[in-house]
Amino acid sequence: MEALRATPRHFAEVVEAHPDVAWRDLLKAWGEVRAAGVLGREEDGRYRIGQ
Amino acid sequence: MKRGFRDFLGALEGAGELKHVKKPVDPRHLSALAAQAREATLFESIAGYPDWRVAGALVSTRKRLALAMGCAERDIAPRFESGIRNPIDARLVPDGACQEVVWEGDGADLTSIPIPLMHVKDGGPYISATLVVSRDPEYGRNVGSYRMMYRTPRETGIDLVSPSDMRLYYQRALDQKRPLEIAVAIGVHPYEMLAASYKAPIDVDEFAVAGGLHGAPVELVRCRTVDLEVPADAELVLEGELLPIGWTTDEGPFGEFSHITGDVKWNPVFRVKCITHRRDPIFYMLQMPWENDWLAAPVIEAAGLQALRVASVQPVAIRAPIGGCCYWTLVASIKKRPGEGKNALLALLSVAEVKLAIVTDDDINIYDPDELDWAMTFRVQADHDVLVIPGARGKHIDPSVKAWAAGKGGLPTTAKLGIDATIPEGVPRSQYERIRYFAKDAVRLEDYL
Repeated sequence: MEALRATPRHFAEVVEAHPDVAWRDLLKAWGEVRAAGVLGREEDGRYRIGQ
Repeated sequence: MKRGFRDFLGALEGAGELKHVKKPVDPRHLSALAAQAREATLFESIAGYPDWRVAGALVSTRKRLALAMGCAERDIAPRFESGIRNPIDARLVPDGACQEVVWEGDGADLTSIPIPLMHVKDGGPYISATLVVSRDPEYGRNVGSYRMMYRTPRETGIDLVSPSDMRLYYQRALDQKRPLEIAVAIGVHPYEMLAASYKAPIDVDEFAVAGGLHGAPVELVRCRTVDLEVPADAELVLEGELLPIGWTTDEGPFGEFSHITGDVKWNPVFRVKCITHRRDPIFYMLQMPWENDWLAAPVIEAAGLQALRVASVQPVAIRAPIGGCCYWTLVASIKKRPGEGKNALLALLSVAEVKLAIVTDDDINIYDPDELDWAMTFRVQADHDVLVIPGARGKHIDPSVKAWAAGKGGLPTTAKLGIDATIPEGVPRSQYERIRYFAKDAVRLEDYL
């Protein structure tokens, strides 16, 4: 979350930043961020939090 | 006899076209590994998903597509045409393997499925091999294929931007402020996938087209929570509804069938109500772009054959090359009468988004790129035999049409190119007599080794 607040990232970059997190746990965590409704998108597809 | 997904895996195995990967693989590495295999891949151990296997790149070559269709590689178009011409209605059966395990309520959790991350700039993990069933009260059942991006354990995005019958169904539901129920079958025989990619008239049931290809009815079971039917032998089924929110939610990018990274799109959301699957399910990962493209080849080639016949030109062979993503390019050989090289080009360039068409005489093997180059070298005079048709309908996904210049909601145009590589009128066929080796049939190299 903090990383996305600082710099927009592609989903794959979020995944790369968490190499040791089990895939299912990562998807659940991503789902929580999604459900929180805080994600925005850059034109090139990167995710960001906030404006 | 109706064959299923596992029968096709067996056929691949029998042909030496299936590689088994036995070591555990993380879902984030599945697509990259499948891309490195010459064969189709069956991942037998998925890290964190002990009950699942994953199969991918099943029809990533023309050879494997022909294997799926039980015909020679050059016969995929006529084989597909025969299925369209002889539909067989689907049959409802009381139960099926796709419902051996049922998850409803909180148990319907998409994270329990090994949905892979496929490409560097994808907006999330994607379900790429979908067979999406929907129904409209007036028009009836529709079956199509639409990519789905994981969002939350109960939601995916779905790409519903392009015109389609299901887009129409969704729009009609949206106008009434109601959700559109859908069921998503994953892991079905390529015939069902081909039928889904065929733009059938709205009153044609794609399951009947698939039945025509099988030569037997597709067996369907009723879904558990939505008023729809799915193939009984599917590996996995997602039941739920498209929320009546319109095209409001970000989806993509995804590695498109053009081999190019796509854009973020605005699309509806699919909410899952129920997940059913086999006891030992195999998740089907349709490997972009070539597997997606080959599934389009019979459809576009059959359309090309039909266009030639309507133009009263006699086709001999047709090919949608993978370099044109089995979509933008058609190559055909014909039995030519004077002028018909050009007639054939006009016919082929009228098919969907085809922007490059090449026509040869019937003595050219269009499956041999060297022969095709030879014909284009020695049978073409550019000032007589090349057609350029400007201002035809284009497709956004082709960067060369500069879709952004059309503005939001605007439609791009494209130029179309036709090359008549048939023997020019006025040039005697004898001018093209090929060299033949003296005593070719009298001696054998093996006898001299």
